[in-house]
Amino acid sequence: MARVLTIEDDAVTAREIVTELKRHGNDVDWVDNGAAGLKRASGGEYDAITLDRMLPGLDGLAVVKALRDAGVETPVLMISALSDVDERVRGLRAGGDDYLTKPFAPDEMIARIEVLLRRRGADRATLLRVADLELDLIARSARRGANILELLPIEFRLLEFLVRNSGQVLTRTMIFESVWGYHFDPGTNVIDVHIGRLRKKVDPPGIVPLIRTVRGSGYRLAESGLAEPE
Amino acid sequence: MLNLSDNWRSATTRLIVIYGAFFVLWGIVLVGVVYWQTGRYLSHVVDEIVEQRARYLEGVERPMLPKAMESTGALDLRGVMSIGLFGADGSYVDGNIERVPADLPVDGVIHVLPNGLDRRGRTAREPARGLARRLETGEVLVIARDTSVIDQVANIIREALLWGITLTVIPGFIGGLLLSRRPLQRVRAIEAAIEPIARGDLGRRLPVSRRGDEVDMLAAIVNRMLGEIERLLVEVKGVCDSVAHDLRTPLTRLRSQLYRLQQTGGGAEGIGPTLEHCIADVDSLLERFRALLRISELEDLRRRGGFADVDLGEILGEVHELYAPLAEDGAIAFGLDAPHGLAVYGDRHLLFEAFSNLVANAIKFTPNGGTVSVRASSEARGPRVEITDTGPGISGDERDAVLQRFYRSESGRAPPMQGYGLGLSIVAAIMRLHGFRLGIDDNAAGGARITVECWAAMTSR
Repeated sequence: MARVLTIEDDAVTAREIVTELKRHGNDVDWVDNGAAGLKRASGGEYDAITLDRMLPGLDGLAVVKALRDAGVETPVLMISALSDVDERVRGLRAGGDDYLTKPFAPDEMIARIEVLLRRRGADRATLLRVADLELDLIARSARRGANILELLPIEFRLLEFLVRNSGQVLTRTMIFESVWGYHFDPGTNVIDVHIGRLRKKVDPPGIVPLIRTVRGSGYRLAESGLAEPE
Repeated sequence: MLNLSDNWRSATTRLIVIYGAFFVLWGIVLVGVVYWQTGRYLSHVVDEIVEQRARYLEGVERPMLPKAMESTGALDLRGVMSIGLFGADGSYVDGNIERVPADLPVDGVIHVLPNGLDRRGRTAREPARGLARRLETGEVLVIARDTSVIDQVANIIREALLWGITLTVIPGFIGGLLLSRRPLQRVRAIEAAIEPIARGDLGRRLPVSRRGDEVDMLAAIVNRMLGEIERLLVEVKGVCDSVAHDLRTPLTRLRSQLYRLQQTGGGAEGIGPTLEHCIADVDSLLERFRALLRISELEDLRRRGGFADVDLGEILGEVHELYAPLAEDGAIAFGLDAPHGLAVYGDRHLLFEAFSNLVANAIKFTPNGGTVSVRASSEARGPRVEITDTGPGISGDERDAVLQRFYRSESGRAPPMQGYGLGLSIVAAIMRLHGFRLGIDDNAAGGARITVECWAAMTSR
């Protein structure tokens, strides 16, 4: 069970975040101001933090900066009503690991938190493996069982992102932001089409598929037999 | 409607009054100097004559003196010279002066006699300049010269000044009134033209004459501003229309689905599938709101902090990579002809977003088996990008509307398509920010051709 700290001054938003995090089996603590949040987080006993960008007194940017300066590396999801690209850059530069704009869908929030929780364990391996799917990050090649997959560069990057976050639900927005590096809405079906093509190569008919569609949310790459949480 | 106090407020009148006052003052000073100089010169001349006569008469022997005085007097045709000889006790001896003036000391130096002196046979006393000198015989010789000439000259100069000022001020005043009348009339005309605009008729403009003077320049500036305000208002109205239009369909669908759930509880399949549809509908609603917010965000973006030299060819390559699978799914030939190294000064993220929108639209509106192509070429002033498709195209009437406001092309409309108008408005906003010109016309092969001239042609904000 992961421990998550929610620093959020708005009680309604906080309840929404806490409920969703608990529903996914996390242990959640909530504080409603930056100073208390910084104090709690400085202990370092949390696995992830959701941090409101605008807080009374000590604001989110200052909190994350103070944490990083103190050497606390707990992953931080910045949540903000400011959607400007500049704000996002500022948030990430201060030490935030991901940036989510208010208002947000709870499934988008939980997907991002779970990726952050997973990232803690991510190593610098050059060979990624899920079931019989293997990615060589140096040779930029991929194999499914004995078959070498002929992937375009963009398909390789997409698959790498899915594999790195295997088992996680990845929303279309997360995929677009991480793989393409842009922050706008390219239209939902563009990502679907890319996934579809990747799927044809990774999951040919007759083999247990790895890439699954998560209804209403996005995609997940996972070993077969892994229980669906919903 | 035109009254005097208004005229006084006019800038022209004020200028003329200031100039007039200055001119009058200057005239007075000038005439004063002339008067003073002339007076000094004439006094000097008088003094010399008086001195000279005095010296002459002093040199004449006593017995000859009355004769000499008489002959000197004979030369004085105008009768301005006064010469008198008096005894040591001041009694009259000879000459045309009755008695020694009380205010003239006998010191041989010239003095001013403002009250003049008593002339024999004359009652009028004219101001004069003169001297009194004691002769060797003990007698007193008085010589004076009437200076009324100087006063007459002064009078002439004073009168000239008075006339001059009168002739300057009166026509100046009338001219000022007349001159200020015209600008005032034009201000009234502008006021009359503005009234309907202030009441909301934004199609009206201020009158601009062909003279191109200050008032016209101002009117032209205001007209430009009105044009921009009108464009913005039309855009806002367009936004309202389009948003209402855009949101009604998914909202209605959402409502009917919820209603069905309420009535049947989802039937045999349970509520799952219907709820999924509801979420999808809400998502598409949210997507539209995001697009709307994005546009207002872009319109707010006054700073250009994200601007740098970016490679347009690279951006177009990425756009192509992103949309190639989508085109392939629709069996659309999707060509890219954009050399790398086309440098453009802009915001990489925004340009990617704009070209993504254009390409997404082109693909969306092109039927299966059609062609979409992206071409970038280097022109003298910067790169030009052309995106052509073989869709239904955009008719002439619609083009401006498409660019000017949130607008959904009716001819290309198909039920599953969405965000056309919003997408292009985002593109237009991004191009406006960069100062790039966005053009729409026909593709030679049918369909639409969108051109983006990637150099700052318009004055960007």
